[in-house]
Amino acid sequence: MLSGRARRRLEAHLDSCEACRQELAELRVTVEALGSLSMFEVPRSFALAAAPVAEVWPRPTARRLEFGLRLATATVAFALALVVIGDFAGLAGEGEKEMPAASVRTAEDKAPGVQGGEGAFAATPAATGTPAPEGTPASIEWAATATPALKGTPVPMGGTPAATPAAEETPTGLEAPPVGTPPAEETPGVIEGAPPGTPTEVQAVPLETPPAAETPAAEGTPAALVPGYAEVQSPTPEIGAGVSEDEGPDKGVTERAGVEEEAEAGAAYDQAAAEAQAAEEGGGLSREEAVRWLEVGLGAGVGVLAALWAFARFQTSIRSRA
Amino acid sequence: MVIADEGQLVRSSRKGDLDAFNTLVQVYQRQVYDLCLRMLGAAAAEDAAQETFITAYRRLNSFRGGSFRAWLLRIAANACCDELRRRRRRPAASLEAALEAGSSADAPSPLAGPEEEALRRELAQHLQQGLATLPAEQRLVVILRDVHALSYEELTEALGCSLGTVKSRIARGRAKMREYLMARRELLPRQFRLKD
Repeated sequence: MLSGRARRRLEAHLDSCEACRQELAELRVTVEALGSLSMFEVPRSFALAAAPVAEVWPRPTARRLEFGLRLATATVAFALALVVIGDFAGLAGEGEKEMPAASVRTAEDKAPGVQGGEGAFAATPAATGTPAPEGTPASIEWAATATPALKGTPVPMGGTPAATPAAEETPTGLEAPPVGTPPAEETPGVIEGAPPGTPTEVQAVPLETPPAAETPAAEGTPAALVPGYAEVQSPTPEIGAGVSEDEGPDKGVTERAGVEEEAEAGAAYDQAAAEAQAAEEGGGLSREEAVRWLEVGLGAGVGVLAALWAFARFQTSIRSRA
Repeated sequence: MVIADEGQLVRSSRKGDLDAFNTLVQVYQRQVYDLCLRMLGAAAAEDAAQETFITAYRRLNSFRGGSFRAWLLRIAANACCDELRRRRRRPAASLEAALEAGSSADAPSPLAGPEEEALRRELAQHLQQGLATLPAEQRLVVILRDVHALSYEELTEALGCSLGTVKSRIARGRAKMREYLMARRELLPRQFRLKD
């Protein structure tokens, strides 16, 4: 409603303005026409034949448990995100630095003949053929310096980075094994470009063996490199599934109602009910409180463990890179 | 319509007295159905109205006093908005077409003659078509204010928004309705035609 002064000003304006007078009249007609609408008759009675199941708000304990689980899930998810970022940031390269070196060292130890000219030539593709997916040149160079036999073979080393991507997909280069090299069938990866001959066959076994042992580690990098990865990863979906199941009806109810205040009112009601129940139960540690502490402990424990694990993982990553 | 012992009926309903709740249903079902019909059309109005009362019964504990009518209409409005949202995802028949099928349920005026009744129906049809052109939020507030005659206080409760928002929506909705009707002024009954 307009105040007396505003109304007088409006009337004064309307007296002088034909357009506004016309618009006001049209608005009045519109409102009058809308007001003339009568309500539709109901086609049937909407009375309820039977009482619908009353909407049950989750019990306070269930809500707290849900919150605890959510918290734990969020913590674990955050820790996993950190680990994934860490892996992408450099841990993958670091894990693979060691593999070629290890394989070359093993080759050296177990097959001293590799240090010869042809043997060295044969050892090189094996070293590059180890499942070093990225096969960073740095790692190869490091391997070369660690194995004096490889120093004398600059040509294969020069070709190493080019050959490395193939090695990613087909471990130890299955392409074009030389014809007439029976060991190539048994140990397909080693003999690429290696001249046929007994020494090579002898060398091939120790050269091939360590990468074969390490291959799953390179493929399933997270599980292999991080001891607790699989254990931590597997509970996560369970926690998530539990939360989503709890969340589902709650979310649906909230959306169906679309009334935030009602939800708040419901929460307040539940809180009051919980308090009343606690009051009824009297002193001591009530069941509610015990469950709450259990939830808090559970959530905090999972969170701390996950954080520690993530921290240790980062430490390892940084140390390895250094 | 406000019944004298509405508060008592609500309290009894909260305790599980279905008869008390059904008394409230009888009082407000026409208004709830009318809102649903004008918002959604005949096809979906019945379901929305029934859903409103079921939801209301389930949520009686969340009613914190005030106008029960506004609270009920708020649930109805939410049901309508949900349905409209669903329709936006799966577009189907237009609201006008849906309403035409159910417009025969419009209550006839007992005092009107055949000619007046025909004019009234025609006007109702135009108005409904005009309402259908409004955005849902403006349509809702215009229906509740100008057709159902809710007070501003009830409107703020029913719509869950501030008085300023309510007034603003009413002003915009009425302005659009005015444009719609004035573009078809020759179709209006005599009493609604302005003298030039």
